[in-house]
Amino acid sequence: MDPDLSSSSVLIGREHRRDFLKRLALVVGSSSLLAEMPWWSPLRAAPVSDSPADRVRIGLIGVGSRGNVHLAHLLRTPGVEIAALCDDYEPHLQAGLAKVKGAKGFSDYRQMLDMPGLDGVLIATPLYLHARMCLDAFSAGKNVFCEKSLAYTIEECQAIADAHRGSNKVFQIGHQRMFSPVFLRAYELVRNGTIGPVTQIRAYWHRNNNWRRPVPSPDLERRINWRLYRAYSCGLMTELASHHMQVANWYLGAYPISCAGFGSINYWKDGREVYDNVNLVYRYANGTSVVYDSMISNKFYGMEIQVMGPRGTIEAERGRIYSENPPPPAGIVQLINGIEHGFFDTVPIGGPSWVPDLKKDVSGDPLVDEKITDDGTALELAAYANSIRQGKPIPGMMEQACRAGVCVLMGETAMEQQKEIAWPEGFRI
Amino acid sequence: MEEVLSSRSSSRTSVFHRSCFAMHTRFSMVLVGIDPERAEALAIEAEYELRAQERMMSRFDVEGPVSDLNRRAVNSAVQPAQELWQILSMCRDYWNRTRGAFDITLWPLNHLWREHLERGEEPPEEAIAQARRLAGFERVHFDETAQSIRFQSEGMSIDLGGFGKGFALESLAGILRAQGVEQAFLSFGESSITVLGSHPHGPAWPVGITSMFNPGQTVHTFYLHDASLSSSGTAPFNRMAGPRAVGQIINPRTGRPIEGYRTMSVASPSGVEAEVLSTALLVTPRHERVELLSGFSITSAVEIVYHSTSGEFAPEIEWQYGS
Repeated sequence: MDPDLSSSSVLIGREHRRDFLKRLALVVGSSSLLAEMPWWSPLRAAPVSDSPADRVRIGLIGVGSRGNVHLAHLLRTPGVEIAALCDDYEPHLQAGLAKVKGAKGFSDYRQMLDMPGLDGVLIATPLYLHARMCLDAFSAGKNVFCEKSLAYTIEECQAIADAHRGSNKVFQIGHQRMFSPVFLRAYELVRNGTIGPVTQIRAYWHRNNNWRRPVPSPDLERRINWRLYRAYSCGLMTELASHHMQVANWYLGAYPISCAGFGSINYWKDGREVYDNVNLVYRYANGTSVVYDSMISNKFYGMEIQVMGPRGTIEAERGRIYSENPPPPAGIVQLINGIEHGFFDTVPIGGPSWVPDLKKDVSGDPLVDEKITDDGTALELAAYANSIRQGKPIPGMMEQACRAGVCVLMGETAMEQQKEIAWPEGFRI
Repeated sequence: MEEVLSSRSSSRTSVFHRSCFAMHTRFSMVLVGIDPERAEALAIEAEYELRAQERMMSRFDVEGPVSDLNRRAVNSAVQPAQELWQILSMCRDYWNRTRGAFDITLWPLNHLWREHLERGEEPPEEAIAQARRLAGFERVHFDETAQSIRFQSEGMSIDLGGFGKGFALESLAGILRAQGVEQAFLSFGESSITVLGSHPHGPAWPVGITSMFNPGQTVHTFYLHDASLSSSGTAPFNRMAGPRAVGQIINPRTGRPIEGYRTMSVASPSGVEAEVLSTALLVTPRHERVELLSGFSITSAVEIVYHSTSGEFAPEIEWQYGS
């Protein structure tokens, strides 16, 4: 996963990334729906130079699996300096420091927050730590990028939203699909009515593995495999489902009024405390449902979010759209127009059937023509850095973070209490 | 289609359209002067009928009766369901009436040629001879008493391809007529068309065969009234589809595909016969065609051949029959 991080390749990487960002600014600029996706606006900022004035100094809290992905991206993001790394697990901290020349190392994030000249932090730690780290960072006057899901409890989500409201600081959440050109295009097609009104969204995330990370010694089990223990995480809900729930809420322009579902540990009975399969239905005020399930004992269907309407289906992860009723061939269109306008026209046909047309249509059409390798992670980091540089919070971001974060916690509670759980009344973003 | 319906004004003729994928191509249905709600119901019924026909006749449906027949008819006689038995009997009848030119057992040859042509080469003579021993309707044994079918050798198989489209169009037309529909245009990938009645603004439905190298050029126009039109032929390898021959036609007499770019379009009161004849005429030598047609209710046929002059392919009507 880690790219070659030697200094020369970092420079090449940055040039490449600069071009990439420039190209994407064009894509973004051409979208007619920017007003509805205000979080893209920081990406339209002027190109960044390498001068110290343009430099944004970031500290990473948590340099584990996801933290390392961010680190690799940040090293290539124009105008970003990784000033500090923090991890309370020494091997991760040392491995991180070896990749970033000149960064200061910390084992306690509070000391890192006291470091002078630090503009912002990037939090990639276990879920149960998100809230206190976000709150401390805001208190210290820092800008915050927090990995998903937002927090461990709904009360904590509320506390983060409250702290952010008065801070005038940048907040960014690690739901990278918000910055994926493919998901952006899918959103456009949903909004312009291409598939008709959305009548159901179905999403699933299936894997077939024990979801464990290797543990060097038994006493580290709970620290390293924190995703498997209820004291630190809500398992499949917070670590996977939050992504698709964020997209569902975004596409529907709403949050669910309630949800119900069931979960269990039916296969990986190895001492873990979080469900290895979850099955939920979310209900929205306009009558639409989001049906979600996740499991880790079968990977045949993989992962997908399917947005369905009377005229078509969008599969955003595959990046394809399928028409419910294929458009008529050109000759038939001409015939229909002729009849409607009173013409007696010949229907032109081309002889033997053209198979290729068919192949393209039954397997759907791509959402974007260009092959785009970024899943949104590179752009969400660029947007974060640009926003800090401009000193302006990213509009709409906290709302997306809270809606997704609260959604998955509602789901977890619904399964644990085996009853329908309503959206928390009075939740304020 | 909703857009078409909503855009019409009271002064316009109301048109209903629906396209769907069926039988490995795109099916389109245009109904004229029908109340939108009824048209929608008819479209649903039509789609249901097409799915049923497809299940019965597709060789690609691994659980379908044709796959079952292709798998089992080598080792023992197989009794297909009544409707499939009737279809296969019809196919045998047409095979006899076309003197073997219409043959639904050519799959082994088709497959062999396709495989080799995709690699840009011809199959070796020995392979062609071998495939010919696995093709030919004379090697399909019908037991009239038991209504069962048995293949003479392993590797034989049945492909209802174009015949299936003609058959489905005829049965759809029957359903629509029974429901009181008087004007309709039904099309499978524009290669198989059946019309009911006439165009709302003229005495027939005019259908123009355009040049496959220049869609703007109409080579011949058929005027259809309660009739069907089927086109068979060879087409150039298509860039979009990759190196794949589209519409390859095997001549059962030689075991080789017909050469050059050519199409045969046949109009007939019967969808099935239009389908049978468009293929059969293409592989029958010209001097034998008129005699072959004497037993059919055909109205007209046109063969278009594309000749290459300085790299450009120009269409020419090389043979024509009827009005």
